[in-house]
Amino acid sequence: MFNFGEPRPRRRPNLTPMIDVVFLLLIFFMLVSRFGADRVVPLMAAGEGDGWSGPPRLVSIAPGGLALNGVPVAPEGLAAALAPLVADPSDPVILRPQEGVSVQETVLVMDLLGAAGFSRLVLVE
Amino acid sequence: MDFSDPPRPARSENLLPMINVVFLLLIFFLIAARLAGPEPFPVTVPEAESDMLAEDGFTLWLGPGGEAGFADALGDEAVEALAAARAAHCATADCVAEPPVLLLRADADAPAAALAALMPALGAMGFARMDMVTLPR
Repeated sequence: MFNFGEPRPRRRPNLTPMIDVVFLLLIFFMLVSRFGADRVVPLMAAGEGDGWSGPPRLVSIAPGGLALNGVPVAPEGLAAALAPLVADPSDPVILRPQEGVSVQETVLVMDLLGAAGFSRLVLVE
Repeated sequence: MDFSDPPRPARSENLLPMINVVFLLLIFFLIAARLAGPEPFPVTVPEAESDMLAEDGFTLWLGPGGEAGFADALGDEAVEALAAARAAHCATADCVAEPPVLLLRADADAPAAALAALMPALGAMGFARMDMVTLPR
């Protein structure tokens, strides 16, 4: 009936452990996430599509330079030299890197052809 | 003589605004982040001008020496592991309507012949299109 105690202030729960956990989660997600989509250069598997049509289109990538069907060609002239050999830019073009050629050099050629509109690049050994 | 009030106990700062901000950051990272799987080995992808964006898919790695890597398998085992992973994926998903994409993370210094040597095996698995991951210049 009697209450002689002073009214105690309401105690708030201790938030510190929750903040610790939330900070750990935050740091985890900051470290583990990868932002921004990667850029890609498309490449087709050999043997896809409906057969071959037209003249051969073989781009050899050698350490010294490029050759189209065995004829040396400058990188900037490659797209122009390929143009008469295709009926449509979606016709496949075969790339054959030789020994000693790095992936970077191959990707540069793929990039060059991709910029010229050739959308089906096939890499063969 | 000091007649000022006795020192009051220091009040703890109000933490709620900070907690709000931290929660907002946490939710931002949860939503915005794409979790990246571990790399079998570090690679430096080649540079290119392409502005095509990568889609999500399987990732095959090619190290500077030309060795393949997938998840934690290396060499020929990586190719087998990739084939198994694709088969497991296709058992539950419709791979004909939506063929899975293969991302190739090849090191810029890797021999291109090693990459070309992988192509028949990858094509035989059913990957019609492979995307080489590049860095924008």
